[in-house]
Amino acid sequence: MNTRHLVIVVGVAVLLGLLSLVFGRYGAYLVNAVAIAGIGALSLNLLIGYCGQISFAQGALLGVGAYTAGNLSNAGLGGLTAILGAGVLGAIISALIGIPALRLRGLYFAIATLAAQAILEYLFKILDPITNGVSGLVIKPTSFLGFPMTSDASLVLPSLIILVVVWIAVSRLLRIDLGRAFLVVRESEIVAKGMGIDVAHTKMWAFLISGFIAGMAGALAGFANRLASPEAFTLDLSADYIAMIIIGGLGTWPGPLIGAAFVVLLPEVIQRAGEAAGISDILSALRELVFGSLIILFLIFEPRGLTALLSRLKPRAIGAVPPDSLQATGDGRQPQQRGSR
Amino acid sequence: MKLKAAAAILALAFAAVPARAQVNVCIWGTITGPDALVNGMSYGLRDYLQFLNQTQGGIAGSKVNSLLLDGRYKLDEELKIYRRCVDEENAVFISGWSTGSVKALRDQINNDAVPFMTQSFASEVLDPKKYPYIFMAGPTYEQQMAIAFRDLAARGGKKVVIMSPDNEYGRGPVNVVRQSGIIKQLGLDLVDTVEFRFDAQDLTAQMLRVKSRNPDMVYIQASTPQAIAILRDAAKVGLSAKLFIGNLYTISPTIPEQLGESAEGFRAIQAYAPYGTDIPAMKQIDQFATKATVEKKDIYYMKGWMEGIAIAAAIENAIKTSGGHPSPDIKQFRQVVREQMEAQTNLDDGGITPPLNFVNHQGSVQARIAEINAGKYVPTGEWIDAK
Repeated sequence: MNTRHLVIVVGVAVLLGLLSLVFGRYGAYLVNAVAIAGIGALSLNLLIGYCGQISFAQGALLGVGAYTAGNLSNAGLGGLTAILGAGVLGAIISALIGIPALRLRGLYFAIATLAAQAILEYLFKILDPITNGVSGLVIKPTSFLGFPMTSDASLVLPSLIILVVVWIAVSRLLRIDLGRAFLVVRESEIVAKGMGIDVAHTKMWAFLISGFIAGMAGALAGFANRLASPEAFTLDLSADYIAMIIIGGLGTWPGPLIGAAFVVLLPEVIQRAGEAAGISDILSALRELVFGSLIILFLIFEPRGLTALLSRLKPRAIGAVPPDSLQATGDGRQPQQRGSR
Repeated sequence: MKLKAAAAILALAFAAVPARAQVNVCIWGTITGPDALVNGMSYGLRDYLQFLNQTQGGIAGSKVNSLLLDGRYKLDEELKIYRRCVDEENAVFISGWSTGSVKALRDQINNDAVPFMTQSFASEVLDPKKYPYIFMAGPTYEQQMAIAFRDLAARGGKKVVIMSPDNEYGRGPVNVVRQSGIIKQLGLDLVDTVEFRFDAQDLTAQMLRVKSRNPDMVYIQASTPQAIAILRDAAKVGLSAKLFIGNLYTISPTIPEQLGESAEGFRAIQAYAPYGTDIPAMKQIDQFATKATVEKKDIYYMKGWMEGIAIAAAIENAIKTSGGHPSPDIKQFRQVVREQMEAQTNLDDGGITPPLNFVNHQGSVQARIAEINAGKYVPTGEWIDAK
């Protein structure tokens, strides 16, 4: 991440903050939703886009974060402590989910994460003392660094602060050895071993970091909804997150946020368009169709997502780290093509 | 010059006409999603308000804007829609859908002080003192279960099985009933509670388990789509539909249409007059249908129509007490609407239910049992007080 990217990240956060002020509580809720989805998508992008570990358990990990933050907050701890606590438990659970990755690869590992999602969903429903079962855990409002988190507007600041910090941290991560090791593991575990990289160690770090971020995103989602409910952290949510990083651009630095904004706001855009045209009933039913079709179209025609589309308009603005290149510069420069050296 | 003068005259003419007052009512249902088969009340409510616009120019001279949104039975979507309804649409009344969302929103509804008609019948959201803005239009799920259990006890039955999805809608009311002790008080024995996924397509294994318990009654705390799967798979394992009784979201012509003979004898709690009944409300609906399309011709549409009558009456009374037009202060007007809603007693809803009374925030607690006979739901008795 270079200075220009830093300016873009902060600029986006400021813009989102201003939007929440202009459009009132509803706008604030949408800004929160985009920011939280952005944080969750950054987490999944780190795991899938950078380290190549496909996971379908993202929704459940967010759930772990929401329940943890809810319990900590209800016990009287502050918002920041609750969010960090959610991150820690998210990291631990994520590492547990990642254990099969030490022996399984590709589709087989993906199926293992699917099982983890199902198990966690089940636990959310039966661990009544800490989850309140199917009724869900009501989360009392708390404060973040002294500011009360009692309304949608008051949640915008913590959400945006965490989004910016996570965004910068993930970008910086790619400039250190661990981040580069993620990319090598993604491309080929055999090559990684040949280069002296401890593959198991590297994967475990990816799960820990990704889980920590996902836990924080879940905590924010819990505070926003004031409820952690099993119905909110299902496989559908995991699928939404995978859609976000595919549509935004797998393995790119702005992709997760672009994808998050797209996935969160697309239903709203379709709804408003339907209302304007007087066909909202029909478009309601078509929303999922539009959503699914877009994913298929992106997979076929532009696997690198909206980021790649934008980079065609302004190539130097986007720092993609596509799966066909090992040259993770992390500074926003387009990686060199294979065989160009 | 002439053009400018004409434009000025037109502008003055429009300025001279006072803007017509409007009131906004926001409805969210599951237009798409797993419960879409029973979403008639969303359309019924919207259509009644449109009917008032057509026939009376709105409510007490104020046009009604009724916005119907799709919550998709997804919690985050429903929470988002709620905020839109309260802050962006400035709705004076909101009708919301799922049990989970209403439970999640109940404190916010209090804080926002917005009258709210819940389509959930969970007793946990019905408390006029604790949740003074939440209203319901019928007996709670728990009261519906009590009607079924009393009927079984009266017929000398003993063993009960309850089937429900493993979500808040299913498990919540079942837990309340189990803890209330009513089953034992009636001398019944709850031999099993069988849970299943809300979107489960095959329930053969669950039906084999039910069969092994040899119950006298199986109560279904679920909706029409799940009831169809249950009755279909019950027939597969040799269980008669006569054993089963469902809550009021299991009355749908779709059940006998899809299952035919397998649905004969299935019973359900009925709290509203079916679509097509010869009652004054149906005449209104027929009149509306001459100018617009009725999307859902079922009992839930009637429920929505009844809710429209109650909400419109509350708004009308609020407008009258506010000097003949809606108060520009939306918070104050919502408060007056809530008070007027709560003040309604013996409200005639055109025969859809016995007279409504919202002092207890429930409208009507009368219900009866209906049975599928020759492909149609036929009431088996008179209205029973669910309390």
